[in-house]
Amino acid sequence: MKLRDTVILEQDAERIHQVLMRFLSDSGAGEALVIDRGGQLLAMDGGGQALDAVSISALAAAAFSSTAAMAQLLGETEFTVLFHEGAKRSIHVSRVEEEAILLAVFDERTTVGMVRVFAKEASRAVGAVLGEARARPRPAGEFAAPLNAAESGPAWTPPY
Amino acid sequence: MSVINYAKRTIDFKIVYYGPGLAGKTANLQYVHRCLPHANKGRMISLATGDDRTIYFDFLPVSALTVRGFETRFQLYTVPGQVQYDMTRRLVLRGADGLVFVADSQFERLRENVESLRNLETNLREYECTLDEIPHVLQYNKRDLPNVAPVEYLEFVLNRRARRVPFVEAAALEGEGVFDTLNTVSRMALASEFGSERRGHDEAS
Repeated sequence: MKLRDTVILEQDAERIHQVLMRFLSDSGAGEALVIDRGGQLLAMDGGGQALDAVSISALAAAAFSSTAAMAQLLGETEFTVLFHEGAKRSIHVSRVEEEAILLAVFDERTTVGMVRVFAKEASRAVGAVLGEARARPRPAGEFAAPLNAAESGPAWTPPY
Repeated sequence: MSVINYAKRTIDFKIVYYGPGLAGKTANLQYVHRCLPHANKGRMISLATGDDRTIYFDFLPVSALTVRGFETRFQLYTVPGQVQYDMTRRLVLRGADGLVFVADSQFERLRENVESLRNLETNLREYECTLDEIPHVLQYNKRDLPNVAPVEYLEFVLNRRARRVPFVEAAALEGEGVFDTLNTVSRMALASEFGSERRGHDEAS
C-alpha cells in the first residue's frame, strides 16, 4: 500500500476538533487522539491531565500495527479495536481508516461500551475529513520554492 | 509520511535508523538524546530485551528549526537489527520520510550489512516504495575499531545505486558523526517537501 503525506488545513483541524469534542462529551472519555498509522499525532482534544501525546502516539500505532499483524497470522484482515484496561485509566484504540487510528483515554466515569459505541461514529467522521485532506492537491504556498541556503543549514549544531 | 499541519504550523517527519544487529542504531539515538537540550527533545523510549537488545524499536522525538513559519519536528526510530525480527522491522518502517542505514564497518560484518540492506529494500516494497524514493544516508559506524574495512570498499559494496547517496563516517558511542548523519538526513527529508523536489502528493491525488 502506497502511503501519502498528510496535509491538515485549518478547516480540517477545526472539523476534527468538533468531532472529537462531541465524542468526548458523548462517551465520557477524557482525551481523544487521532494518530497516523506510522505513529504521528494528527489531532488531540480533551486533556485535563498532562499526557505525553507524542510518545503515546508512537506506542499506540506500534501496538495497533502489531495486533494487525497478529490478526493476519490468524487469517483475519485486522482487529479493529484494541483495549487496555488499567486500575484507574484505560485506553481504547479503534481504526479510523486505512492510515489512522483513534485513541481514547478514559477512567471510571464511563465504560468501555460507551467509548466503543461513540468511537465508531467519531471514527467515521474523522475518516471522512482525512480522506478529503489526502485527496486534495497540496497547497503550494510556502512549499512552492526550494529551500534556500539559510534554510538548508544544519538543524543541530555541535559542539555536543 | 510527513504531516503538515497548518493549524499548528508544524511539519512532522519520521526518520528510521536501519541496519544489522549491533551496528549502533540505538547508540545514535542515545547520543542525540544525551546531547540535545530539553527544549529540543521529548522522552526517549526503548523497547528492549533484558540484555538491552532492541526488540521492537527505540523512539526519540526531536524538534529543529522553524522554516517559513513551520516548526520542523523529527521522530527518530530504530528497528531491531536481529534477523528474526523482520516483521517488526517492517512495521516500524511504515510511513518513513527518511532513512539512515547504519553499517558496521568491521570486515567480519560486511555480509550482515549487505543482507540488511537487501532486507530494507524488500521491506520497502511492502509500502510500494523503493530506496530511490526515500531520502537516505549511509553511516559507516565503528570507524574507531581496528579491523574496519576502508570506506572506499564500503562505498563499493553498499553505495551502489545509480544515484549515490551521502555517507558519514561515525563512531556513534563517542558521538562522532552522529549529528552529521542526523543533520544530513533531516535536511534531505525537509528539502523533499519544498520546490521541485516535492514528493508526488499532487500527482497521487
